[in-house]
Amino acid sequence: MVRSGSGLRDRYCIVGVGETEYSRWSGRTTLSMACEAIVTAAADAGIAVDEIDGLASHQATAGDSCGNAEVASALGIRTNMGVDILGGGNSIGQLVAQSIALIEAGYCETVAVWRSMNGRSGLRMGGGAATRGGEAPRPQPVAAAGRGQYQVPFGIRGAPTIYAFEAMSYLQRYGYNTLHMADLAVTQRFAATLNPKATRREAISIDDHQNSRWIAKPFRLLDCCQENDVAGALIVTSAERAADLEQPPVYIMGGCARASTHNPSWTWGRPDMTEGWGKFVRERSFGSAGIGPEDVDIVTMYDNFTTTPMMYLEAFGFCGEGEGGDFVGGGRIHLDGELPQNTNGGQLSEGYAHGIGYLIESARQLRGRTDDLCAGWRQGEHTYDRALGCRQALAREDRRRRARGEPVEHPSPPSVAFCAGGGGAQQGWTVVLRR
Amino acid sequence: MQGTVDYSLIALQPDPDSEEFWAAAREQRLLVRACSDCGQRWYPPAPLCPRCRSFNLEWHEAEGRGVIASYVVVAHSVLPAFRPAAPYVVALVELPDCANEDGEPVRLAGLLLDGEEAAGVGVAVEVAWEEAPDGAYTVPAWRAVATPEGAPVWRLDAELERSEAPA
Repeated sequence: MVRSGSGLRDRYCIVGVGETEYSRWSGRTTLSMACEAIVTAAADAGIAVDEIDGLASHQATAGDSCGNAEVASALGIRTNMGVDILGGGNSIGQLVAQSIALIEAGYCETVAVWRSMNGRSGLRMGGGAATRGGEAPRPQPVAAAGRGQYQVPFGIRGAPTIYAFEAMSYLQRYGYNTLHMADLAVTQRFAATLNPKATRREAISIDDHQNSRWIAKPFRLLDCCQENDVAGALIVTSAERAADLEQPPVYIMGGCARASTHNPSWTWGRPDMTEGWGKFVRERSFGSAGIGPEDVDIVTMYDNFTTTPMMYLEAFGFCGEGEGGDFVGGGRIHLDGELPQNTNGGQLSEGYAHGIGYLIESARQLRGRTDDLCAGWRQGEHTYDRALGCRQALAREDRRRRARGEPVEHPSPPSVAFCAGGGGAQQGWTVVLRR
Repeated sequence: MQGTVDYSLIALQPDPDSEEFWAAAREQRLLVRACSDCGQRWYPPAPLCPRCRSFNLEWHEAEGRGVIASYVVVAHSVLPAFRPAAPYVVALVELPDCANEDGEPVRLAGLLLDGEEAAGVGVAVEVAWEEAPDGAYTVPAWRAVATPEGAPVWRLDAELERSEAPA
């Protein structure tokens, strides 16, 4: 099904975005954080919270967050739709797609898509113990049930151990090494130095990366995303409603919901472990949006680990097969490079919210109102000078002019953002946005 | 590494799809699911044939020899059972005698008992068995054997050279 723009292209918008502080110990309930993110996003959009009549959220592990019924109750709203799904990084694009579909079908009008997690102080991914200070948890037997029967008894638990096989296979297949991974970590961290809300804001070097401790080879500490507490929210509604709201509308051009590969054994059983879901929905993603990779100004690529964006960039044709490891070097994914990637620092540096952060960042970038160190960012006043703390990206034409040393008198923000999430080769989503 | 994993800190919970696999493991036999209708083989033991969707299944006893398709060296484990063993290697082992005509491989993860020095993509291995205390359960693990001469072996560390300075 390849089409030059689906029937829903540009008919729905992200009109508001918001998040709580990223922290390692929120001291709050996921309910409290979820409500703050939703109230903030509604204020950003310039709508009353009472206008939200749909809620959509996910839990990576059942019980790692509150649900929509509790949130509606706490917000004091009456809803017409509530979607609670199970899933981690493969979820937020699916929730955006479901929101559009349900509004289109007439079930509701304005949806808050949200994710709230005490991912460090509460239920950590992989079931690591939440600790504060020197508290040593007493070891308890870990259940090996369901898919866990084929992982836990062999020492596999937690994302670094699960995703290492495909990462190692990728490095081996294309002759890459951990210095390529370092390039990505260092470049994204630079962007985070310009992001006041980022969990990690200190610049890092290639040596810092190479000297960081091993977690699960090929992943060092600086190859792994953060673990933190945070909530984020997006307000999704029709383009008609978006037209007279507070912010410049960010149009949803297209994408795919939750695409997967076929495999009975996670991705490890695929003949080519690096052949992920992306290649199967490349045409669907671009086709629904009616554009190609050459039309994209900025990208967000799911960075649970440094190798994942390399594989995703290939899958969606931003570079050729086997070129991802080289592509993330040479300054190409830098804020002022050929294809700025994860301009908030990504989950490696800004923080980890299972992917909603990519859509929040992309919306702000497309509006030209990226939250950086420029005093007037809320009004879209940016210096575009990195030395002065500006994180606002430029449209690709302006970047090219700059790269050629030509003056750019009236810089434009990016026009199109391509966002891909998931975590590994098995499942993921895309959302294509424009201003 | 052998004996340093505290398997008493893992509560294995077989289910109707897997109980025969785990029962055979106690007898040090490695079983792979097979389709009685089309002959396809797969792991883990999912309840139907992923190729022809038949529920008419049997077990294929694997020879227990394979080749490492990928591996991870776990330095930081969230599993209390494995913490004393860290750093440890988990190998993803492909079993040539279980290969399918359509190119779908059969691969199992398991501890590489020889440790990191022996690890590498392309390394030949054979099955070994790790027993949990009090005979609670037995898990397949792997030991390196002589890799055929001329067979390529890739190790992460050997690749750490790059002429071009990072930008």
